[in-house]
Amino acid sequence: MTTSGRMELVCPAGTPSALRAAVQAGADSIYCGFRDETNARNFPGLNFSPQELAEGIRFAHAHGSKVLVAINTFARAGDTDPWRHAADTAAACGADAVIAADIAVLDHMATQHPGTRLHLSVQAAAATPESIGFYADAFNVRRVVLPRVLSVQEIAALNRLIKVETEAFVFGGLCVMIEGRCYLSSYAAGRSPNLNGVCSPPEMVSYDEDREGTAARLAGFTIDRYAPGEPAGYPTLCKGRFKAGDKAGYLFEDPVSLNAGSMIVAFKAAGVTALKIEGRQRGKGYVTEVVRAFRKAVDAAEQGHDATEIDNILAGLSEGGRQTTGAYRKIWR
Amino acid sequence: MARVALTLGPLFFHWPAERLRNFYFRIADETSLERVHVGEVVCGKRMPFSDPVWPEIIERLERGGKEVVLSTLAAPATVRERKAIAELCADGRLVEINDITALPARSGRPFVTGPFLNVYNEATARFLARHGAATICPPVELSLDTVGTIAGACPEVGFELFAFGRLPLALSGRCYHARLHGLHKDSCQFTCEQDPDGLAVDTLDDQPFLAINGVQTLSAQIHSLLVEPAELAARNIRRLRLSPHGCDMVEVARTYRDLVEERQDPEGARFVLSCLELPGTLVDGYAHGLAGSQLAARA
Amino acid sequence: MTSNPHEHLRAPLSILRFLPPFSGLPLGPLLTLSLRSLARRRPGLFERLGEFGKARFLIDPIDLPFTFHVVPDGSAALVRAAGRSGEPPSDVVIRGPILLLLGILDGTLDGDALFFHRAISVSGRTEAVVALRNAIEDAELRPSDLLGLKGTAARLADSGILGGLSFARQIATGAHRRERTQP
Repeated sequence: MTTSGRMELVCPAGTPSALRAAVQAGADSIYCGFRDETNARNFPGLNFSPQELAEGIRFAHAHGSKVLVAINTFARAGDTDPWRHAADTAAACGADAVIAADIAVLDHMATQHPGTRLHLSVQAAAATPESIGFYADAFNVRRVVLPRVLSVQEIAALNRLIKVETEAFVFGGLCVMIEGRCYLSSYAAGRSPNLNGVCSPPEMVSYDEDREGTAARLAGFTIDRYAPGEPAGYPTLCKGRFKAGDKAGYLFEDPVSLNAGSMIVAFKAAGVTALKIEGRQRGKGYVTEVVRAFRKAVDAAEQGHDATEIDNILAGLSEGGRQTTGAYRKIWR
Repeated sequence: MARVALTLGPLFFHWPAERLRNFYFRIADETSLERVHVGEVVCGKRMPFSDPVWPEIIERLERGGKEVVLSTLAAPATVRERKAIAELCADGRLVEINDITALPARSGRPFVTGPFLNVYNEATARFLARHGAATICPPVELSLDTVGTIAGACPEVGFELFAFGRLPLALSGRCYHARLHGLHKDSCQFTCEQDPDGLAVDTLDDQPFLAINGVQTLSAQIHSLLVEPAELAARNIRRLRLSPHGCDMVEVARTYRDLVEERQDPEGARFVLSCLELPGTLVDGYAHGLAGSQLAARA
Repeated sequence: MTSNPHEHLRAPLSILRFLPPFSGLPLGPLLTLSLRSLARRRPGLFERLGEFGKARFLIDPIDLPFTFHVVPDGSAALVRAAGRSGEPPSDVVIRGPILLLLGILDGTLDGDALFFHRAISVSGRTEAVVALRNAIEDAELRPSDLLGLKGTAARLADSGILGGLSFARQIATGAHRRERTQP
C-alpha cells in the first residue's frame, strides 16, 4: 500500500520513563511490551507491568500519541495462556495496536479482539507480497514491519503490490540475520529471541581478563577479544569476531548501527507509512535525543527538504560507533 | 508401536550438478529411506545450476520406491524466486513450505512445513493443519518434549524431527561467502561451491562454533538425535529427518534404520556415526531442552 | 581493570562535604535507611529488579576511601560501607569514579556507553547488572534520594553533583569526538 499522508514516527520505550520521554520528544507512536517472555526484548528489569502500560497509554493519549504493544515472541507449546493474556490485557488497556509474529497470537487477536489493530512484527519475517497478503487475509493485519533485508527499491515495488501499510526501521541496533528465523543464541546459550525474547542472554555473558586482554564470552564461546584499554562491546553473537578460511574478523557484521536517516525522503517516495526507531533496551537519554532529532528530520522531509538538509539535522546523532544504511542500499549484501 | 519413518531432508549446500546426480542416484538405489526431499532451499541464485538435473533425480528416486517431496526456498526475494515457488506448489507431489510465501499457493492441498517455518505451539500447528499441513518438521531449537506436546494436541499431523546434520541456525539477506571473499552478493562467483559442508567458523580462541553456507549460518557441530524408538512413539513423532552432508549418507541412513528398527541402541548408533568422516563433533542439546551446542547423551 | 583512562573525571573534593559521614550518622545505616525509605515511596522501582533484589552489589567508587556493599531488596535493603581490605563476597562489582556512578544513577549519563568505553568496569553476574541498570533507568532518581538528604543539603548536593556531572559529560563528549574522527 502506498500512502501519501504524513509519515508516522514509531519510537521505543523499555520503561514508563522512556515512554514519557518519547512522547515529550515528539513520537507519533510508542511501542513497548510486557515484563515477561511475550515480548522480544525480555531483559531483566525492562518493560511494563499491566498497570504501567495502562498508565502509559493514558499519558500517551493525553498528549496525542499512540501506543503499540509488542507481543512478538512465539507462544510456548502447552502453555499459550501467557500470550493470550498479554493480548487480552493490551486490548483492555486500550492499546492502539498489537504487534505480533506468532500465528497463535495473530489468530487469537483476530478472533477475540477484531476491533484492535494488528501489526505484523518484523519477527514474522514477511518480505513478499504473497506472505504479507496471507497475513492480511487470514488475520486482517493492517501493517507489516518490514524485515531489514529489503532495499528501498524493493520496498517501493512491494508497496505497489500489497494492501497493508509498511513500517521500516530507520535507526538503532541492526540484526544482520533475518529476524524471527535465527537460533544462534539458543545454539550457544540455550535461550533465543523466538523462545524467550532474549538474544545473547546476559546471564551467560562473561568478560574474562587474561594476558592478551579481555575475552567477551557467551556461554563459554569467545565472541570477541579486546586489547587492554580497548573499548569493549556486548557479546551479541552476530556482531563478534571469528575465524573462517584464513581470515579473522567481523564475519557477519561490523560493529555498526543502522542510521537510514538520509533515506527518509526515499522511504516516503517508496510509500512507507511509518518509520521505526530501535532501542527498547536503551535509556531515556538516548530516546529523547534520537526521537527529537528524527522528529525534526521527518518534519523537514514532509516539508519537502532534501536529503542533505536532513543529514545535517541528524549529524549530531552518532554515538561514536560507525553507522550503516544496511540493506536499504543494495551494496550491503 | 508405529514404525518411525526416515526422511532425507533438502540439501543445504551448493553441490555441482554431477555430484547431485551421483549422490541422489546412490540414495535411490542403496537406501531404504521412505522420503527424499529435492530442490534448493537456501539460495535462489543456485537454482539454474541444479534445476536441469532434478527431473532425472526425481525419476530415479521414485523408481527406487522413495516418496519425493519438492522443497521450496526459505527466503524468497526476487520475482523469479517467487515464481519458482508458485510453480512447485502447483505440482501433484508433496511440497515442503519453508516460508509463508508458499502458503497461499498451496493452501488446501497437502504440504510439509520445514524447520524454517515458525511452528512453536499447537495453535499454530492446528492452524496450518487446517490449511493442509500433513507433516510438520518444527524449528530445530524445540525440544523432544515440546514437539511431543504439540504433536499430542495435533494428531492429524505427522511430526518429523531434525535428527542428523549441521543445524540450520540462521538466514540473512547478506551472503557470507561473498563477504568473506570480498565479493558482492550479486556477483558472488558461487564461492560457496568450494565448501560442500559449509565453511567452518571458529572463535578467536579456536573453538569450532558455526559454519557458513552462502546466506545461511549452520552449527559447526553435527546434531544427532539418537533415542530409543519408544521415546519417539510416546511423543507421537513419526519421522526422523536426516540432512545431507558430504559424509557417507548411505551409512548414516543405515545407522538410523538400525536404530528405529531396534537393531542398534543409541550408544551403538552414536559410535557408528562418530566413525564416519563428519565435519563436526556430535551434539544433541536441543532435543533435551539444552543449548544446541551441548551433548546431553552420555558420550 | 588495572588502568583507568578517565582520571580527569575524579570527583572534585568539594563534593565530599555533602556525603553523609559529614552529616553526623554512620554511612552504612544512613544509606540503608534512605534506601528502605525509597522502597516505601517507590515500590515499583524495586519490583523491576525482580529476583535480583537479593543480589549483592559491590559499588566501588575508586576515588573514595571506601566501597558500598548493597543488597537492594526493597524494604529489607541493606547498605554497608567498608574499606577496600576484606571486601565481602558479591554477585556484581561495579567500579568507577563517583561522579560517573552518580551520573548513571540519575540517568544523566548512559551506563552502557560508559561501560563500553571502559570508564566504569563491571564484573560478575551480567544479568543482575542489566536489571539494576534498567531499574535505575526508569527511576529518575536524584543524588539526594540516594544520599538520604533533605532540604537545603539535598538541593546543594543535587546542584553540586549534577553540576559536576555536566562538566564531566562535556569532557566525555569531547573524548568521544576525538575518537570518532580517528580513521
